[in-house]
Amino acid sequence: MNRLKRSLLSQYLLIILIAMMILPATLMLLSTLFFHTLYKTEKEDRFYNGTDIEAMWHKTAKELSSASEDDIEGRFTKLKSIYKDASLFWIDDSGAKRVSVPDTLSIRQNWSISDAIQFMKKSRGDTADPFTVVAFLGEKQNAGFIVFQIPRSAMESPSDLLREKYDFLFIVALLVVFSVFIIISALFFFRIRKRLLHLQKAMEIPENTGIPIMISVKQNDEIGQLEKSFNLMIVELEAGKQQQWEEEKLRKELIANLSHDLRTPLTTIRGHAYRLQKEPLSEKGKESAALLDEKISYMGDLIDNLVSYTLLSTGKYPYHPEQIDINRVVRKSIADWYPTFENMNFKIEIAIPDEQLIWNIDPQWFRRILDNLLQNIYRHAQSGKFVAIRVLDDMLIIEDHGPGMNAESTEQGVGIGLSVVSLMIKEMKLTWDIHTDENGTRIEIRNQ
Amino acid sequence: MKTILLIEDDKEIGSFVKEDFEYRGFAVTWVISGENIEEFLHNVDVVILDVMLPRLDGFTVGQRVKRTMPHIPILMLSARTSVDDKLEGLRFADDYMTKPFHPDELAARIEVLLRRQESHRPEMMKVGHLHINLKENRIVSAAGEEIILTAKQYQIFSYLLTHPNQIMTKEQLYEGVWNEPYINGDKTLMVHIRYLRERIEKDPGNPAIIETIRGIGYRVKQ
Repeated sequence: MNRLKRSLLSQYLLIILIAMMILPATLMLLSTLFFHTLYKTEKEDRFYNGTDIEAMWHKTAKELSSASEDDIEGRFTKLKSIYKDASLFWIDDSGAKRVSVPDTLSIRQNWSISDAIQFMKKSRGDTADPFTVVAFLGEKQNAGFIVFQIPRSAMESPSDLLREKYDFLFIVALLVVFSVFIIISALFFFRIRKRLLHLQKAMEIPENTGIPIMISVKQNDEIGQLEKSFNLMIVELEAGKQQQWEEEKLRKELIANLSHDLRTPLTTIRGHAYRLQKEPLSEKGKESAALLDEKISYMGDLIDNLVSYTLLSTGKYPYHPEQIDINRVVRKSIADWYPTFENMNFKIEIAIPDEQLIWNIDPQWFRRILDNLLQNIYRHAQSGKFVAIRVLDDMLIIEDHGPGMNAESTEQGVGIGLSVVSLMIKEMKLTWDIHTDENGTRIEIRNQ
Repeated sequence: MKTILLIEDDKEIGSFVKEDFEYRGFAVTWVISGENIEEFLHNVDVVILDVMLPRLDGFTVGQRVKRTMPHIPILMLSARTSVDDKLEGLRFADDYMTKPFHPDELAARIEVLLRRQESHRPEMMKVGHLHINLKENRIVSAAGEEIILTAKQYQIFSYLLTHPNQIMTKEQLYEGVWNEPYINGDKTLMVHIRYLRERIEKDPGNPAIIETIRGIGYRVKQ
């Protein structure tokens, strides 16, 4: 029962029920009020109805059957005071006009039979104006007749007039009742709408946390239940997020530890290889020590790329894009790589314009792309003895004269380094093209 | 003799680095944890710090060192490669290297860190035909002539000297000397270098001391 009371449905049904009941009630109330007022105005001595007037006149005629002329005149004057617009007169048996009220009434003095018939003819019918009642005075029909005439316009009762005048009140009252109903309904739905909008707004996911904020539940109706479920969902979302965060942390930790566990022995190996190189060695021994060193570097890079690739492909590689001058980054990168290529007697061609070229990218990532590409040239395109780095028309071009990417390289593993580059380029919304054949490789990176 | 404080928990790496640097003529104090290192700090010129240490991690240790002894340069060694690690490390550390590092490169970077410190600069340097006394800011040519430079020219030259064999981009050089952001197309640096060359180069049209790396920057080879 309590639950029913709190339900929005029952609330609305209640509104409809009240509206349905209030409509006939209003009609009844209005009618009562109306007729009560009319009734009051109708408490007059006069009649408006033709039948009533006729009855009254015949009754009067009966009462005046043996009255004197003065009595008749007195009675006529009295009636005149009630029926202000009426004309009353008495024609006696001989056809002479005896009494007329008002005095000024223009009526012929002597009536012939044909006059009477003509008068009767003229005054007959439902539409004849004025309304005329003729009654024989007295029971014996020798005292003549009395005539009561009243303009039809004066026969309309005040209640009719009132009804005509105030008919619109009914409509107004009905309209008021309907409006009240509509307003109450609108308020009811407006409140629901407001709460729903509030809920909808609360559901919008804020950018920083990714989890909406809980809302306070004030009512226990359907929307209240919805709000409760929503809050419950947030709790679970938070718990899920927390778990996800912990798992992510664990995974990152795992990768970092794996990297650590691989790199630590590599460092030791390198130390020993280095020490070996200092020892007096045969040519072959020196070669081996150098190769050892070379492979250790390669392993280090491989681990680096593997970790990066894992983080990138799971979207966990930290990404902080900003407006950077890529010419500056490219210049700095080449400055670091220059001695390496120089020592290997590479022909180095550089064309970087003085002007800024702004791309919205993460400088660390871009640095990483350059490092990986240059590293590939260092490892796989040494035979070409050529590297060119150019920036032109919103495009970075890196070129070598190595055996091309399809050639069998002495070292495998171009794959992971280029995969990292590919993922980073895609993520930063850049595009790239690789043109490679046995005469060399040309890589073009464009800002979309 | 310069003293290095090496904080490294891995026995093999620690002993190897210690041995290598001692061979190169440094004194090395090697500890395996970052706790209770304060006593050594007063007597140390540079710190080599591993990130992954037992109990107290390298970042915390490094920040502590920087708080008490801000002038001591720190080089972080990490076996982790996460970019976050690198960025966090470089917030306070002066340099950062990932394992497996090459001993020669580690030594070179330590040299650079030491040279950057005014008090640890070698007094005399010989570059090309020039003898440079960095303490007295005096440059003497092989012919025994003293070369007088303007303040800016000397700043540029000494900036390149403290980063020997490294290519300095024009942005790096400008911002290092002028201490303000490089504005694109600014020819000031170029003009200064031209005048500097007229003073120090035997043949300014064919410079032997300050090398131009076209499109990138400048380098002084030692």
